[in-house]
Amino acid sequence: MPANRVLVIGAGPAGLSATKELQALGVDVVLVERESYLGGTPKKLKYSLLFPELRPASEVLDPLIKAGEAVKTRYMESIVDKVQQEGDNFVVTIKDKNGKTYTEKVGAIIAASGFEHFDSRRKYEYGYGIIPNIYNISDIEGMLSENRLVTTKGTPPKRVAILLCVGSRDATVGNTHCSRVCCAVSIKQAMEIKERIPDAVVHIYYMDIRTYGLMEDKLYWKAQLNYRVGFIRGRISEFMRGPNDTVVIKGEDTMNLNRALVVPYDMVILANGMELGLGSKQVAKVLGLEFEEHGFVRPMDPDRLPVLSTRKGVFLAGAITGPKTISDSITEGQAAAIKAYEYVSKGIWEEAPRKVAAEVVKH
Amino acid sequence: MPQNVIPLPDDPRYMDLSYPEQGALTEEERNLDTLPPDQRELARKFWQAVKSDFRFNEYLRGCLNCGVCTSGCPAAKFYDYGPREMIQYMMRDAVDRIWEFVNKKVWACVQCYTCSMRCPFNNEIAGLIMLLREYAVQFALPSAKEILAPYRRVLYTVLTLGNQVTPDMIQPEAFPDWGPQAVEESKNMDVYRKAIPVDLLQRTDIGWHASLQTAVELMTIMFESGVMDAIKNVDPDLYDMVSDIYEERKSQLEEIREKWMNGELKEEDLPDSWLDL
Ligand code: SF4
Ligand code: SF4
Ligand code: SF4
Repeated sequence: MPANRVLVIGAGPAGLSATKELQALGVDVVLVERESYLGGTPKKLKYSLLFPELRPASEVLDPLIKAGEAVKTRYMESIVDKVQQEGDNFVVTIKDKNGKTYTEKVGAIIAASGFEHFDSRRKYEYGYGIIPNIYNISDIEGMLSENRLVTTKGTPPKRVAILLCVGSRDATVGNTHCSRVCCAVSIKQAMEIKERIPDAVVHIYYMDIRTYGLMEDKLYWKAQLNYRVGFIRGRISEFMRGPNDTVVIKGEDTMNLNRALVVPYDMVILANGMELGLGSKQVAKVLGLEFEEHGFVRPMDPDRLPVLSTRKGVFLAGAITGPKTISDSITEGQAAAIKAYEYVSKGIWEEAPRKVAAEVVKH
Repeated sequence: MPQNVIPLPDDPRYMDLSYPEQGALTEEERNLDTLPPDQRELARKFWQAVKSDFRFNEYLRGCLNCGVCTSGCPAAKFYDYGPREMIQYMMRDAVDRIWEFVNKKVWACVQCYTCSMRCPFNNEIAGLIMLLREYAVQFALPSAKEILAPYRRVLYTVLTLGNQVTPDMIQPEAFPDWGPQAVEESKNMDVYRKAIPVDLLQRTDIGWHASLQTAVELMTIMFESGVMDAIKNVDPDLYDMVSDIYEERKSQLEEIREKWMNGELKEEDLPDSWLDL
């Protein structure tokens, strides 16, 4: 039987939610976090309001962080360096930032090391990091939560363009997946901007708006109904530095054939998507996990067993297996905790059945 | 048109009624009637030819309708033209639109490949444009004839001499975009050329000198690779002219070679330049 002790890698929404459940189930938790704080990417980038309810991020994160703080065996600014199988258990070597190593013996592991935002510099034609007043959605969150949404001139922007799908749905950067949350985040940010600067013009450049499910009217409709956010169908192809630190966008209004758009804005926001990132790649490598075709970690069975990894005793939660919302990650953390609990307390480990080819009748 | 087509009154209300009887029209046929009757068959054949080219399915992958190709396209800036529109017509088998496109707009592209490089779906857009053009030339479409007409002289020199442009082609009417510079250059081209202090033949009807053998080899490549076939329909006169020159040079070369083999030619008797033959 594996030991009644679970290693959780990553203290973001998924990892902390798993931690919270495991504690409630009376399982001993070892928590390893690369950064010096709990809360993961939402904390790091100082997320402002969360979609679709537009509630402060802290309201959702703080209870989770509290659960993380209650963990006694907690390694901050540390990574998992080595994992060795020892019967049903894992002997884990943890390395802190000074290179000092520690060893822990656990019965199961939950990998919840999350995603990284796409580095927009890789879309060189967008000039991120070179042209002033171009930001990522991930930069804007902090600017909103700290109430410092201003251009380089120090004044609030009066014309804002948000470009969706930066680094997602784009074979030129090798990412053909949709990052799922950036439509919602962008529209939320558009509303937050209009809330602060009511006379600002905010345009969202989109190919498709994916405010799926119950978010549709709370975001896409509301942004138009209450805030008069403009939606322009077309992906911007490049940005130029305009006079007076403005940004000139170049796109096609695809609703009007061949109608080119060359329009100046005070501020441009790139909805940069999600990638696995180096942190999670390292975790996957140490744990001996497999990757799926978009570069995320492959679960045992994405439909039936989404929180089981391909390695016995290792569970997955959150954006390590693909782009997720915060609530998805919390749900998966809870699911992974239950599965890990079943495993360490009863030895339950399910295997996915062999793939059966669908039988189709060809006409 | 399929065999089982039942003629229907020219009334859109009957269109749906025909479906159970004659099945749906193929996408290629659906919009054909927007074209003049005498062009429909050719338009369909043209599109079939493009689609069955071995490159077609490699080049056309899919389209997000994002407009990145058109918004970065230098040609789209100056003409009512955009690569996205072409891709969309292709994705939908819109024969009538492709036909219109190939009869005019397709020639606006400058083959800079910006669209291909940026397309998030990795379409080979500039390649598809080239495909349309190749078939436009092969089908000898009027737009291809019209576009190629000013390049006749260029084609001629490329095919026969291996030179793209010869000095005497630098004429104001051929290079209007060069402005007063071309006028100035063209006036004294002869003098300039003669004044060049290295051996450049000092003449203006040729840019550089390919040997007789090289010239014949070049032309052989043009014939063997199908370049001449492509030109045959669009400019038969040029085709005939080049064919004649080819035959003539080939026999000249043959003659010289034979004499040489038979020891009838001494090394110093070999012609310096076949230009003077
Ligand atoms: S969620 Fe929206 S912005 Fe993000 S990748 Fe998908 S479609 Fe693009
Ligand atoms: S290759 Fe042609 S269509 Fe493509 S961007 Fe350049 S000019 Fe436009
Ligand atoms: S860039 Fe590619 S995907 Fe976008 S509109 Fe053009 S062909 Fe379609």
